[in-house]
Amino acid sequence: MPPENAPRKPARDDSLMQRFDEQRLRRFSARDAVLATALIAFLLLIFSGGSVKRAGEELNPGVGRDVVLAVGKPAAWVAEQLPFAQIGHTLTGWLSPDQKLVGLGFEEGSATGAGAAAGKGPSPVTPEWFDGRELGEEAPRPKLTKLLVTGDSLSTPLDIELGQRLTPDGVEVIREPHLATGISRSDVVDWGKLSATQVAEDHPQAVVIFIGANEGLPMPGPGGEEVSCCGPEWAAIWANRARQMMENYIQGGRAKLYWLTVPAARDPARKPIVDAVNAAVDAAAAPFRSSVRVVDMNSVFTPGDEFRDAMEIDGQETIVREPDGIHLNKEGSALAAEIVEEELDRDFTP
Amino acid sequence: MLFPTVQFAIFFPIVLALSWALMPKQRLWKPFIVVASYVFYAAADPRFCILLAAVTLLNQAAAKAIHATENQRRRKLITGVAVALDLGLLGAFKYYGFFAQNVDDLLNTWGLSPTAPLLSIALPVGISFFTFQAISYTVDVKRRLVEPASTIDVAIYLSFFPHLVAGPIVRAREFIPQLQSARDPEHVAVGAGLGLIGLGLVKKVMIADYLGRVVVDPAFGVPQAYGGPDLLFAAYAYAAQIYCDFSGYTDIAIGLALLMGFIFPQNFRSPYRATGFRDFWRRWHMTLSRFLRDFLYIPLGGNRKGRLRTYFNLMATMVLGGLWHGASWTFVLWGGFHGSMLSIEHAWDGRRRFPAAIRWFVTFNLVVFAWILFRSPDLSLFWTYFTGIFHGGSLSLATFPAVLALLAVIGLQLVPERTSHGIEVGIERLSPILLAVALAALILVVGATVPSQGVPPFIYFRF
Repeated sequence: MPPENAPRKPARDDSLMQRFDEQRLRRFSARDAVLATALIAFLLLIFSGGSVKRAGEELNPGVGRDVVLAVGKPAAWVAEQLPFAQIGHTLTGWLSPDQKLVGLGFEEGSATGAGAAAGKGPSPVTPEWFDGRELGEEAPRPKLTKLLVTGDSLSTPLDIELGQRLTPDGVEVIREPHLATGISRSDVVDWGKLSATQVAEDHPQAVVIFIGANEGLPMPGPGGEEVSCCGPEWAAIWANRARQMMENYIQGGRAKLYWLTVPAARDPARKPIVDAVNAAVDAAAAPFRSSVRVVDMNSVFTPGDEFRDAMEIDGQETIVREPDGIHLNKEGSALAAEIVEEELDRDFTP
Repeated sequence: MLFPTVQFAIFFPIVLALSWALMPKQRLWKPFIVVASYVFYAAADPRFCILLAAVTLLNQAAAKAIHATENQRRRKLITGVAVALDLGLLGAFKYYGFFAQNVDDLLNTWGLSPTAPLLSIALPVGISFFTFQAISYTVDVKRRLVEPASTIDVAIYLSFFPHLVAGPIVRAREFIPQLQSARDPEHVAVGAGLGLIGLGLVKKVMIADYLGRVVVDPAFGVPQAYGGPDLLFAAYAYAAQIYCDFSGYTDIAIGLALLMGFIFPQNFRSPYRATGFRDFWRRWHMTLSRFLRDFLYIPLGGNRKGRLRTYFNLMATMVLGGLWHGASWTFVLWGGFHGSMLSIEHAWDGRRRFPAAIRWFVTFNLVVFAWILFRSPDLSLFWTYFTGIFHGGSLSLATFPAVLALLAVIGLQLVPERTSHGIEVGIERLSPILLAVALAALILVVGATVPSQGVPPFIYFRF
């Protein structure tokens, strides 16, 4: 018997730690490892240097973004001087799972606000600026058959909640969250084109959009200069972009759009962004009140702009936010879905 | 920081080159690799680094104290306190909300007002993995399977970035001996490392993410929108997705470690060719199975205390193993289901043995059924999904690429192990330069299949 304080022998090697030695696979050197990795990095840079820069631009400001851009900018320059990136794109471009977008992007559309800047003057007020229901108009309520739920990460699991509620009533719920996207970051996806594509492909009768988790990035202004968040100038550009999307979604008044405002976030640094986005949604919707419903999430989840993790639902204190202090959790999304459903019921027969 | 991202593609070559440059000077290499690993972890949230450091220091202090005494009761007491603190941390971050909500629900049904304050706590990435590794270190020291290491070695063991966020759960006795001397720069499994990284990328990005995006997420999101054939297909697709996602991560982790000169234990061995549940757990998440066996099942008495006690031990181990995956009743039931199957298999021992093909068919389909529980966010959705399978409908989700991916994942696991292993070893012995060119081409192809929204996190990151 071994002495009490002697190290015991492990029972058996059931973790197969010897497997690489048994196959004599440890036959190369560290120099080979470093060389192989450097060769991979080199090949990726010359074939796809631009994507490093793009990935950096998509990151939130911080050290990580600075580091990626410090590598990405020269890498993109090198890749542009060589033909390999084009060859690579030709060979692999067909594999992309992204939708082929149609319609006008923010840069080509009305979203830059260039029209207003050119002195065209204020557009006339038309009946579409008014929500007929508020003026006592009795509008017909058609049966809802097709609903598109979209947006950035805020729109999920709201999309699932709405799907689970409405599908049993025969509503086709198209769920299309586009994570990590934003109206002010059209480098990932251009929502101007995306909204046109969604409408062209799906022809939804109603659209629910919940977006605003990734906003706050600088955008080009009417004169091409970069405008930083979150003053009136930035809000105006954002509102023009949102207005272009609204125009697409309401399809000339044939569809209804339910645009959810963004509830306050835990991080006080996000308050100016949320305030600018919500103000811009309100401004953008002004000419389309007959078709666009701005659904106020802020007063429900964060009354008085005060962040809270939990709130009372059905008499019970319930956590409604994700730990990140930005998104709604499952319970919060269920409540948001209930509010959206009530709004839908005012325009459509359940 | 996710492995298949640009950030990691910049981080790793720099760390690899510096790691081998500093390797002969262990006094420099050790602080360097700790800093690199903490930088990697801080990319998720810098605050979590404090937690990781606290777990390291706590378990190191416990290991030293255990080693310093020969008094058995004292050794047991210190181990118990350290393990309780580790599990307490895990419980606070991972299970507090679950228990508080369930206690509140219970009190509400009795007409009592809630007592537990509701807190929304962010789950630190990888906490389930590094706390288990910390427990393994402390308990192995107590069991005299390993000597207490220096604090910096323990810090490397717990934070080493290839295994930090989603395993494999490397035991102290497997990893710490590799830190006793500099890794040999003339004996590196470069081919195996590159091969595993490539294989992992294909599994994760081309198969798991594709099946998730096109089949699994739509069906499990709103099962009411799909008929039985679609729901059945999506259940099998999820079996393929979770295998490719998790084993893909593990392949990359093992491959990265190999390039740095380290060896990790094997974590998967074609689990869908299992012909029984015991066999399945010898092939699926092997490092977790070993952990549960050595630190829970055997200390509970294993199969040494009679038939009924064996069943209880199996159930307890698997239910807790299920709960390890997350704070939800679906995970508890998933663990309970596996515990029941293991108990039934145990009870059947010595009776009629069915042909291997029948055993495989039954095991595989029961495992897939259990995955429906695992993937469902709550029990009501599970029930909707499960009952939906028996409704009619079309098979709209079974597109050609999805069927191909599914058949490839399941079919390749049924190829005789010797054949697939032979091919693997053949590739891994090729010239590293040739493999590097092939891997670069593969990354370009895999990268082209990534949607503009990027690569979704590995499923096991949230566990």
